[in-house]
Amino acid sequence: MSEQTRKPGVSRRGFLLGGAGAATIVAGAYRPHSGASALPELSDAGLAAAGVPDVALAATDGWVAMPGANQPALSPFWPDSMAPPGKNLYVFGFRNVTGLTDAQVAQQRGLAQISAPQLSFKQDQDYRVKLSNLGLSVRPDLVDGHTIHWHGFVNAIPLFDGVPELSISVPIGRSFTYFYRPHDPGTYMYHCHFEDVEHVQMGMTGLLFVSPKQNGTSFTVGSKTFTKFAYNDGDGSTGYDREFGLFLSEIFAEGHYRDAHIQTTDWTDFKASFWCINGRSYPDTVKPNAPYSTTLGYQTGLADGTPPAGSTLPGSLQYQPQSALVTCNAGDRVLLRLANLGYQNHAMTMDNVPMRIVGKDALLLKNGTIAHYIDTNSVEVGPGESRDVLFTAPGFSGGTGTSGNGYDTYLLYDRNLAYADNAGDPASPGGMLTEVRVYNGTLPAQSQPNA
Amino acid sequence: MLAPSRIASAAVPSDSTGMMCETPLDATAPVFNLDATTGYITTPDGNSIYMWGYTASGRGFQMPGPTLCVDSGRTVTVKLHNTLREATSIVFPGQSDVTQQATGAPAAEPAQPELDANGNVVSLVKSAPAKGGDITYTFTAGSPGTYLYSSGTDVTKQREMGLYGALVVRPAGAPKQANNDVSSTFSKEFLLLVSQVDPDWHAAVERNRAFDVTHSTARYFLINGRSMPDTLAPNNAAWLPSQPYTGLIHITADPQGNTPIHKPALIRYANAGPTNYPFHPHGSSQTVVTRDGAALHDATGNDASYGKFLLDVGPGQTVDALENWKMEYDPTNNKIPSDIQLPQLQDQIVGPGTETWFSENPYLGGPKGDVPTGITQNNECGEYYHVAHSHALYQATNYGASFGGMMTLIRIDPPNLYNCAAGDYQ
Repeated sequence: MSEQTRKPGVSRRGFLLGGAGAATIVAGAYRPHSGASALPELSDAGLAAAGVPDVALAATDGWVAMPGANQPALSPFWPDSMAPPGKNLYVFGFRNVTGLTDAQVAQQRGLAQISAPQLSFKQDQDYRVKLSNLGLSVRPDLVDGHTIHWHGFVNAIPLFDGVPELSISVPIGRSFTYFYRPHDPGTYMYHCHFEDVEHVQMGMTGLLFVSPKQNGTSFTVGSKTFTKFAYNDGDGSTGYDREFGLFLSEIFAEGHYRDAHIQTTDWTDFKASFWCINGRSYPDTVKPNAPYSTTLGYQTGLADGTPPAGSTLPGSLQYQPQSALVTCNAGDRVLLRLANLGYQNHAMTMDNVPMRIVGKDALLLKNGTIAHYIDTNSVEVGPGESRDVLFTAPGFSGGTGTSGNGYDTYLLYDRNLAYADNAGDPASPGGMLTEVRVYNGTLPAQSQPNA
Repeated sequence: MLAPSRIASAAVPSDSTGMMCETPLDATAPVFNLDATTGYITTPDGNSIYMWGYTASGRGFQMPGPTLCVDSGRTVTVKLHNTLREATSIVFPGQSDVTQQATGAPAAEPAQPELDANGNVVSLVKSAPAKGGDITYTFTAGSPGTYLYSSGTDVTKQREMGLYGALVVRPAGAPKQANNDVSSTFSKEFLLLVSQVDPDWHAAVERNRAFDVTHSTARYFLINGRSMPDTLAPNNAAWLPSQPYTGLIHITADPQGNTPIHKPALIRYANAGPTNYPFHPHGSSQTVVTRDGAALHDATGNDASYGKFLLDVGPGQTVDALENWKMEYDPTNNKIPSDIQLPQLQDQIVGPGTETWFSENPYLGGPKGDVPTGITQNNECGEYYHVAHSHALYQATNYGASFGGMMTLIRIDPPNLYNCAAGDYQ
């Protein structure tokens, strides 16, 4: 099946958040076919027309690295003896292949990333998301299909909702273009729904969000003027200076090992070994993002294992390109998009900084003009839930900051301290913990989410 | 699938979809006669599991217990007859003025725990003795909402074994409202009573053997006592004689435009299990109007209901939520862009098992397309299906096999119903 390619950076339609810098992945413009007439779109007699996708994702498998020393309790399941150098865990995942040629897309087989690429969309715009199934490089015996399920999409068309038994799934070597016209701003998740108990646990899941139509207008709240908002709040109460997507999940290492070693897993034996934010466990959560490109998002480097040019990221994190570090200037209003697609509840807390929950499950906590925002120090996010949380970065403490490195450090972590752990590694803490670093006005404006 | 030998039809008239009520003969002074008995339920992977449960006296075993429907403020009487080999009882959380009266007691007394000679609690409330004992409870039906009733004796084991059911309290005079707010008016209601089963534990109880509960692992996850796809079967399905309650949610779409023509459906979630279940309905946002029998208002009485695409229901908790579904696209006036096409059949995986609920048409109500040979198409008239399931995904399995467990479907019929058989829904 032929497809047009898109050169990176060509699109100039305004589907970019916050100006010249790109969004997490630019869900770019759709270029309509010139002169196209409305063909009967249900025909299965011909191949799909060459619509240009805004986002192209490839589904495949791969290897990633979890931190912590070799723990006998997890042996032989982790570290996985079959892993390539520097990696220790087998995963399934998505890769962003927007704008790549067919040959380049095929090269991504076996190079999945976790968590899945963070995607951004704009309210009421049309999007095409093309999913290609590259097969599983370690398991050529499996003929699993893949799908995309946009978790939480309201009034979804089942064909684009990604549940195999209620629609279709994509065979190996084939692709399918999903269509979305999101009307509801907020934070969501997406994941494969083919044998989801396995595919989601193996890593085929990530965060996406929809920005409101109110973006670009301005509201002044107190001394601050905002042009970016979490919702169409009508009064600026969800305005923010910086935003960070924090995707919560767990890893059941034994299940990953069994998938790599051609064993079956009874998924009701699920037991978490690692706890992750954006696919990483502390201390990897605070390591930097991989370099960013406007079409491919955070880059994972070359197929041969070469890290991206200029990257300070350890090579072991090559396929976990999304950082969970939160950085801001004193006084900034920061939006945390918390999304949980694991199997456990996670109650996130930030020491010494109060938080305000303004949205749950992509809905603003407001009835008409009456807000029911929740001020708290603990935000519980259950499996499959999202929370939009705002905080104001405290004043700078002075000098080189509490860290001695030019910033004040606050910890953001799951209050269930059993999850601040990497498979029982005595080095503590680990797991679902990251840092919020507050600078004294020296940080430039954010060019994209999580920057 | 083998049917258990003790079969009796549940002679409760009702329609095939939606919540069934155990309706008292006298709604002004409701009386329910319940037996605590034993029986078996079946699972889609061919397992047969020994259970304890409440049944309507004189009828066959059922799981969960009968859904008792009463009006708020009524004095309700529940008479329990116990055929089990150990004492059992019923607690009624959320109800007021609960009383207990054992056989031979001169009068009813306020419900209170049973104590042993050392003053330790041995039952949360007075129990009916084993092997034929009786006890009578009364209570004043509380604030409108959904509640659970369950055993207060040897609670860890007896609740695992299945001694629970739902109690639905309706606003007096407003049976089609979830609570006292007119804004909670619904068209049709559905009960999703969720729980789980560890088959090894049940086998130990069946054989009266010891079992280390600290090593219990649930393998089956239930909605109304059934696992997917049995959750889709109608009420009183003949092949599920011990599991009479459907889990299918069946609604009609609102047409395009901003004015819904249907009242929403009401989904009553009730968690009788030992852990929270994060329940995710696809394709919709459900508006929570009542939690644990309390309508959602803020301190000054304003409506504080909120929408969720994931309802995380804690153990013993209930959530009442309204759901509607609105059409957006149609082939004539608001098409899906024409470059978006269904691949040819050989470029699709249909199933991936031997059946599909997909119409092979993106549009609601559109004509059905062909499916590959050998695949059963369950789609009737171009209706949509969305799955609704626990998102702790190992709970959406039948002993680890996916597309099972705590899962059901939301069937959405086209608004004009021109192609679907007319049913008992708007």
